[in-house]
Amino acid sequence: MAAEHRRGNASWSIDWRLVAATFVLVAIALHLSPPLVAFAIIEVMIFALYASALNLLLSYSGMVSFGHAVYFGLGAYGLAITIAKFGWPMWAGVVAGPLVSAFFGLVYGALCVQLTAIYAAMLTLACAEITFAIVFQWFDFTGGDSGISGHVPAMMGLSPAWFGMVVLVVVTICILALWRVVHAPLGLTIRAVGENPVRAAAMGHGRKRVQLAAFVISAFLSGVAGTLYGIFHGNVFPEYVGVLFTIDGLVMVLLGGLYSFGAGIYGAIVYKLLDNVMAHYFEYWQLVIGVILVLVVLVSPAGIAGLVSTVAARLRGRAG
Amino acid sequence: MIIVQVLQGLMEGVFLFLIASGLTLIFGVSRIVNFAHGSFYMLGAFLTYQIHPWIAAGTPGGFFTSILLCGVLVALIGLAFELVFLRRVYHAEELMQLVLTLAAVLIVRDLTKFFWGLDDVTVVLPDALSGAVIMGDLFLPTYQLAMVTVGVLVLVSLWAVLKFTRAGIVLRAATDDRGMVALLGINQAHVFTAVFTVGSFLAGIAGGFAAAFESVNYLLDARVIVLAFIVVVIGGLGNLYGALFAALGVGVVKSLGLLWAPRLSMVVIFLLMAVVLLFRSLRRTGE
Repeated sequence: MAAEHRRGNASWSIDWRLVAATFVLVAIALHLSPPLVAFAIIEVMIFALYASALNLLLSYSGMVSFGHAVYFGLGAYGLAITIAKFGWPMWAGVVAGPLVSAFFGLVYGALCVQLTAIYAAMLTLACAEITFAIVFQWFDFTGGDSGISGHVPAMMGLSPAWFGMVVLVVVTICILALWRVVHAPLGLTIRAVGENPVRAAAMGHGRKRVQLAAFVISAFLSGVAGTLYGIFHGNVFPEYVGVLFTIDGLVMVLLGGLYSFGAGIYGAIVYKLLDNVMAHYFEYWQLVIGVILVLVVLVSPAGIAGLVSTVAARLRGRAG
Repeated sequence: MIIVQVLQGLMEGVFLFLIASGLTLIFGVSRIVNFAHGSFYMLGAFLTYQIHPWIAAGTPGGFFTSILLCGVLVALIGLAFELVFLRRVYHAEELMQLVLTLAAVLIVRDLTKFFWGLDDVTVVLPDALSGAVIMGDLFLPTYQLAMVTVGVLVLVSLWAVLKFTRAGIVLRAATDDRGMVALLGINQAHVFTAVFTVGSFLAGIAGGFAAAFESVNYLLDARVIVLAFIVVVIGGLGNLYGALFAALGVGVVKSLGLLWAPRLSMVVIFLLMAVVLLFRSLRRTGE
């Protein structure tokens, strides 16, 4: 019972009305708002995808990644290197980005699932730090600390509003796909393993194989987000692979509310809002995030997602 | 040259042990992955910077007293953190504890920025400590020798407490089997609180010592917590003596790395950790 409640048990079907309403709303906002706001919306969407991908691990699979920026950043590097160094056409680079991330997710994931709990998390950190060091220092291949730029025109040469539409479409498809994964048999298996590996094993679902599948999916979707980010800015820097981007993703998920599907989305919105808006007025915005996190733990462990669903349920109750 | 570097590494190892010992003790008993440990360390460094001019400035005695005092202050902060916040999540999901300690990291970092600014602060050593002992080729800074002495002192006293006192027995038992200790009528909450306070004290004095040779700024927490976790993980979580050997090993590897491949020394340490972790898991499945 407790576990059921904790992991949430939303219905399987996609609420198309909600998806369509959100889609139209964001599309209108993109076209009506000035470029700076459109940039912020694009950034929120990209990070919503990244954080949602990370959330698949945190909330469902029973794994913690302390190095997820690697899969985000390698998406951008996959795009940049295939285009700038191999001379591939743009579309091939776009396909290559997420695949590079998925490949590294497969290799590193295969190592990390050999361990459990904090040991596995520390191994994700080790993989990430080693990758960062290579990216940072292999000047001839990755451009070292000056990164790579000029391989794609920023935002594919589109206006913020129309590039925003591209991002909106891609992110929507990816998040819907993630929803399918979580609620498909594979997703149920991932959740079973995350909740009770022994019982799942007794039913024939080996922990390592299932967690590896989750890890690769998460890495792939993070790579999609990273590739979009690389196109958005038209460049790539080692920071994209670095620890700060990892922490950003983690904080977004924790803020959004563990054990709920929307954690990454809500977390990205609130975090980026604080980052972009509050940082202008109040230098110590991370302190605010810290306080919010404490409140999340003590008052509402389900995070913002929990608050949203409580309010939604209350509204629905009043309407009915 | 190599000998000097190894010796340097061993001394750094003792210092690392000072940080890691608290972290591993806390994990062993309460299973809390305490990211805030690095923040307590940083607080120790900044408080020492703040306090040391006030207490018999310029004398070794005053300097060590201020470090000790800062250790106590940090211990009190840790105590408050444990009593007010951490205590509420012992029975919650593991990740909730992570959220809480991560929140503490963010809060402490911004408070540090607020009180002490973004620039490095420097702690001037008393003259008596800033010299060095020279033995042939060896050049051993007095301050580092003092630090090693303190590290060994901490190690010996921890060992003695764990081995001979009732508190130590309870602590070891709690590391092995928390439920059993509770069944025997010992209040677990008190054990957790005590260990967290002692761990914070150790982080505080380690930070105090570091204040004199590290560049002390608001990023100190991130630099140290990763290294401390590596040491703790290599040593085996909750394993104090494992942490000692791991700390010495990491210290030496880091120091030799600086000699041969300065830009790769952290990579080597991460590789070392990865190999130890994977090897340990292989051996476990092999049994």
